[in-house]
Amino acid sequence: MIVTNTETLPGYRVQAVKGLVQGNTVRSKHAGRDIAASFKNLVGGELKGYTELLTESRRQAFERMMGQAQQLGANAILNVRFTTSAVTAGAAELYAYGTAVVVEPATATVS
Amino acid sequence: MVELIINLGIFVFLLALGFFAGTTTERRHFRRLEEREEENRGFVVTQLKTFPGGSVVSPAPQIFMAEAVIASDYLKTFLSGIRKFFGGELKSYESLLERARREALLRIIDQARAAGYDTACNLRYETADIGGATNPKKGVVTVAVIATATAYRRKQAG
Repeated sequence: MIVTNTETLPGYRVQAVKGLVQGNTVRSKHAGRDIAASFKNLVGGELKGYTELLTESRRQAFERMMGQAQQLGANAILNVRFTTSAVTAGAAELYAYGTAVVVEPATATVS
Repeated sequence: MVELIINLGIFVFLLALGFFAGTTTERRHFRRLEEREEENRGFVVTQLKTFPGGSVVSPAPQIFMAEAVIASDYLKTFLSGIRKFFGGELKSYESLLERARREALLRIIDQARAAGYDTACNLRYETADIGGATNPKKGVVTVAVIATATAYRRKQAG
């Protein structure tokens, strides 16, 4: 599956548009990580636990979106966007959405 | 009286901790960012929606995402608290945002390079609120940035 956050895909032709696909998730880390984060807040630096949290959330939202696209029979998702929202402290909501399409290499149609 | 001294002692200790640990961490982070940016000079990143230079068909362009969460330190939080009372620019928080954005971008470049790409376009930054900045009573002062970009391989000139 080809996934991009651009509206076009150079070298490929969009054959069919399958529509909007989306995936979301709200995740948090266990309380120990939150406590560790508040300590780290005294000395500064990267909060690895929260970076991990975002990575996991992003992957999950992304996988759900890809699952929808696969169900629709698409082989690419274009113009993917991410948004986040604040649900509560220590949690992250990630929402991924894009347009599922069927693409084929542009050269194939010429020959 | 003893209680006051202890409380004051803890406060001064935390400020000193923020000053020494926080400042060192930040300086070291900036130095590492500069080094890595220098290494990746050949990797072109734009935020254009088109594919400048043209993209080859195989490997097909692919989205890459990375995130970075940077925490404030006690000194920064304290100083910005004073700053917020008088109003104006919160310089100490600007550097946090800058670090998070540059770090996230470098992580995208690392991933894209490892996958064999040499250019990225349509770079977008998104911020998240994990620490709960919209709810200042509780929660920690953090900056969370998610960056996304589409990586592709440029067509060879000529």
